[in-house]
Amino acid sequence: MILRILTLLLAALVIGCAPLLLDDGQLSLGMEMLVTFVICAMWNVLAGYGGLVSLGHQAWFGIGGYAVFIASNALNVNPLWLLPLAALVPALIALVLTPLLFRLKDAYFAIGSWVLAEVFYILVQRSDALGGITGMPLFTGGMLGASIYAQVFWVAGGLALAVLVLSYLVLRSGFGLGLMSVRDNEVAAASIGVNVRRNRRLVYAVSAAGVGLAGAVYLIPNYFIQPGIAFSADWTVIMTFVVVIGGIGTLEGPILGTLIYFAIRQGVTDGLGLSGSWYLVALGALAVATMLMAPKGLWPILRDRLHLDWLSVRRPWPGRPDRAPHHQAPAE
Amino acid sequence: MVWVETVLNGIFLGGLYGILGLGLALVFGVMKVINVAHGDFIVLSAFIGVFLSAAVPGVSPLLIILPVVAIAAGLGWAFQSVLMNRVIDSDDMLVPMLLTFGVSFVMRNIMLETFGATPVTLEAGALSRASFQVAGLHLGVLPVLTLAISVVLFGGLNWLITRTEIGRVIRATSDNTAIARLMGVRPGRIYALVMALSLALAAVAGLLLAMRTSFTPSSGIDRILIAFEVVVLGGLGSFWGALLAGIALGVTQLVGFRFDANSGLLYAHLLFLAFLIARPNGLFGSK
Repeated sequence: MILRILTLLLAALVIGCAPLLLDDGQLSLGMEMLVTFVICAMWNVLAGYGGLVSLGHQAWFGIGGYAVFIASNALNVNPLWLLPLAALVPALIALVLTPLLFRLKDAYFAIGSWVLAEVFYILVQRSDALGGITGMPLFTGGMLGASIYAQVFWVAGGLALAVLVLSYLVLRSGFGLGLMSVRDNEVAAASIGVNVRRNRRLVYAVSAAGVGLAGAVYLIPNYFIQPGIAFSADWTVIMTFVVVIGGIGTLEGPILGTLIYFAIRQGVTDGLGLSGSWYLVALGALAVATMLMAPKGLWPILRDRLHLDWLSVRRPWPGRPDRAPHHQAPAE
Repeated sequence: MVWVETVLNGIFLGGLYGILGLGLALVFGVMKVINVAHGDFIVLSAFIGVFLSAAVPGVSPLLIILPVVAIAAGLGWAFQSVLMNRVIDSDDMLVPMLLTFGVSFVMRNIMLETFGATPVTLEAGALSRASFQVAGLHLGVLPVLTLAISVVLFGGLNWLITRTEIGRVIRATSDNTAIARLMGVRPGRIYALVMALSLALAAVAGLLLAMRTSFTPSSGIDRILIAFEVVVLGGLGSFWGALLAGIALGVTQLVGFRFDANSGLLYAHLLFLAFLIARPNGLFGSK
């Protein structure tokens, strides 16, 4: 436990001091990495622990962004103060929609959520009040001042740490155990008194809220919001691939996956000099290769090799370790 | 009269949507996999068609369909044998779907980098403009032909699956893979055959769509969503339900288009969501 708290404090220190050392370009990249980690972690909570694979999570990214842009322009208030809306609005919409969406199971849920995201995208695109296809500016951008990149970097960093700590605590709690039991066997979970529906709704809403927050943080420093970017299906693609590569259903997976994603992006774009979307091709190819060769992702392999158990939410067997249910007898 | 024409055109378009969903429904029915890359294979076939018809000018686009279907079937066979068969036995149906999601994304971005993002159409020459009049209604030849092709494909596939030896083997493999294997069936080969068939249907749909509207490498997303809606609305495993669902979506889209000029697929999507509330098992799905 001490080790975990120490690493956390160290991470907080690094995030806190980074703006003093880095220039705006580096801060912007750092913010993007933190935001990417947050959306991937939120997708992972839903898919890896809640058992709900959503292919329409870009909806929450865009809705979070639009919520802050609209409110900030209307109220003439610093957009960073309105960030709670970026969590609240997606969460509420998610709660309203779950009764409909949860009629679909598994792969159907995945594509149904995608259709829903497409509907949001088309609706925003058609709304003249929101600037239609061209999008709309953030008129209150001037309130953020020159240190905008440092500010959003800190917010993104705080969000990333909060997501990590909260997911760890929640998943270790009784609620988390109930959630995972629903993922593993819905009928069995229900029969021992887990409220399957309520658990799923809650985790879906929380996931939407986290992605919405990340979307707003990412979009604010652009001073402009465009439906094509805010509701881009690429966000969900990145969430899916990063989590699959890193390790679905582990808290460390999204961290590792995010690092790999940015390494690929910088490597292909700057290293190989291939512009455009080739880095996405490389990411997709790595995701496909991972699914074929290491379906659990890379973190579990690394963990077993290095004997790390940093953020595992597994509970130790209370009795003698050699009596644990999955204990393997040493080879003779 | 305009309204009757709109509805009729919606029905013709619906025939096309039916074919979009047919290939997807076939793969889902046999392998319990939603092939997210289906839409991108549709777009890839359309690109192959555009290149072939540029390479041999003067040949009717309806003849171009044959080589493209053959290529698409080959791609389907390879796709299933090389990639999909490795994960098909996974007890979690999301694993194969995520794999096709990855393949879809890689295909889309490679096509974007190779063909660019400019919209392309498959030039069908006189055929795309030809029209005739019945009872005062002005109808295009191509849309009517599309619906006819669609009905033939639906009937043909239905016959193949329910009346032939290979159809029996396919159904047996789908129902109980282990026992089919005991009877000497190689499930991997059957799956590859089914995927080849599915992508051949995708190729027909892709070319017919390309003669109708322009497309870009990103069009696969719209195509897969429509195809998926056809499968869900039609109810699982119901071929004719899929055709009717396609028609419902086509009519909705074109009637919506009359009211609201840049609605795109909005009303089709809304119809789908409305149906989820009313009938989660689809039009013809069993309870």
